[in-house]
Amino acid sequence: MPRLSVLRKSLRDQKWQVLGFGLALAVMAILDVFIWPAYRDPLQNFELPPALQAFLGELSIATSAGFLSAEYFSWIPILLIVYAVIQGTGAIAGEESSGTIDLLLAQPVSRRLMVIEKTVAVCLGSAVIVAMGCVGFAIAMPFVDMDTSWTDVAIASANMLPITLLFFAISLWLGAVAPSRGLASGVVIGLATAFYFMNLVANAVQSLDGLKYATPFYYYGAGLSLVEGLVWWHIGALLGIALLFVAAALRSFESRDIATGGATDVGFGGVLRRIVARGSGA
Amino acid sequence: MTVPAIELRSVVKDYGRTHALRGIDLAIEPGRIFGFLGPNGAGKTTTIRLLLDLIRPTAGTAAVLGFDCQRQSMDVRRRVGYLPGELRMYESMRGDEFLDLIDSFRPEKRDPRYRRELLDRLALDAMHPVRALSKGNKQKLGLVQALMHRPDVLVLDEPTSGLDPLVQEEVARLLEDAVRDGRTVFFSSHVLPEVERLSQSVAIIREGKIVAVEDIARLKARSVHVVEVTFAHEPPAQLFALPGVRELRRDGNMVHLQARDGIDAVIKAIARYPVVDLRTEQPSLEDVFLAYYSDHSNAGGEEEGRLHASA
Repeated sequence: MPRLSVLRKSLRDQKWQVLGFGLALAVMAILDVFIWPAYRDPLQNFELPPALQAFLGELSIATSAGFLSAEYFSWIPILLIVYAVIQGTGAIAGEESSGTIDLLLAQPVSRRLMVIEKTVAVCLGSAVIVAMGCVGFAIAMPFVDMDTSWTDVAIASANMLPITLLFFAISLWLGAVAPSRGLASGVVIGLATAFYFMNLVANAVQSLDGLKYATPFYYYGAGLSLVEGLVWWHIGALLGIALLFVAAALRSFESRDIATGGATDVGFGGVLRRIVARGSGA
Repeated sequence: MTVPAIELRSVVKDYGRTHALRGIDLAIEPGRIFGFLGPNGAGKTTTIRLLLDLIRPTAGTAAVLGFDCQRQSMDVRRRVGYLPGELRMYESMRGDEFLDLIDSFRPEKRDPRYRRELLDRLALDAMHPVRALSKGNKQKLGLVQALMHRPDVLVLDEPTSGLDPLVQEEVARLLEDAVRDGRTVFFSSHVLPEVERLSQSVAIIREGKIVAVEDIARLKARSVHVVEVTFAHEPPAQLFALPGVRELRRDGNMVHLQARDGIDAVIKAIARYPVVDLRTEQPSLEDVFLAYYSDHSNAGGEEEGRLHASA
């Protein structure tokens, strides 16, 4: 029978973070719903800058769906990605740099199971955070006249999970390749920011339009799922790449030595050497 | 044939150009306390971490109770209690929560009464957060988590580090109890008197190579005894012309001797004459080690300098 000790420990460790991020989402959801009536009329003749409008596609910000897309679904994933990076870099690199991994892996739990249970914990944690946002919508929406249903909002909220898990998986992989939490966090946060703005620029500048297909934020699609529903192949692509990164993290983590008592920082050059070594099958 | 509790065969571990282990061969019988002695950086922790599959050998194989440490690592870890040399535990947990976590990996071996007994014997209050514990209390908690599931093999890296002498004595008794139950204790130390006090056998590692595997009693028996005999009358000049015995000096009726390989021949020689006083100095393992290995090692002086021989 699975003991799920690592899963239970991981859930316990992240409970305050999940609560904090979840409350942030719930408060944002409530505020956005309650301020919508005040913005509805002024926004009728308002035009968003092209880069921001690109996030909404054909949606108008003067609709509740457009408003929620711009005010909630376009940037809340950044918060979720921050959570994902904290968890992803903590899963392997964090345990290793704090030195706690020695005692953990001296117990009858395989490295593979350890990573899988920590991954499941993050899936559950991010689902709870997103669900708390939905609870915020559920609290506020009955008091405000909106042409968007709670079900649509819940679906759009669930649509934030694949991109969250993708950045978790990238962080996990970097933490497995280079057991330096600071380095892994820095690289993933930098990458996420670059992708975010790359998507904005690609949407705004016609000649750079093709770039958007290279960013995960295009496949996320912001709040478009509010009116268009879920694009399954986009979700599949994000989750598929996430799975590849988890698999790469497992391969790297299972094949290498565990650093002693926190002596983990291999530096940027060390990371590159490890990535190259893995890539060449060494 | 008995399966060795721990068996290392030609184990090599390289880190790039650094050779941490240079072909370690070692077999430890079950039911013994086995000390692993060597100066800092000799390869003790590397060897121990190989047993837990935390690091992988460059060449050679390691096995615990017949299970390959790499291919059958889960079987090994089910049977091993481990105390790391660099002990790091989850700082935010209380001691008892940390023990619950470790217990949860082997629910079938959970024994709350024995855990309580260990905490009592080590005088540890596990209700405090780990971060609030002193170094010594953290070490006690580390020992409790290693012992509490009554593992067949205990692998302890510097187990008495940071403990006061009274607690060290209690740890020695706990390890003796474990061995009486048929379990095996393999522990590392860089402190000679500790190995002398705790273990029955010792392997000495230096620069990644095992330089000696000895029974502690035999090692001590091989020692140089210093004997001081005072006779009632002046003894014959050639009385101590015996194999392995060297007369150092005479002060009247008092003779100072040095005897290698035990003092049996000396006792038999002096028994024929009236003796007023007899003193022998029991050599510590430290004296034996330094005397014996300085004779047998090309780098004897170097060895003497590197071993930390504090009591």
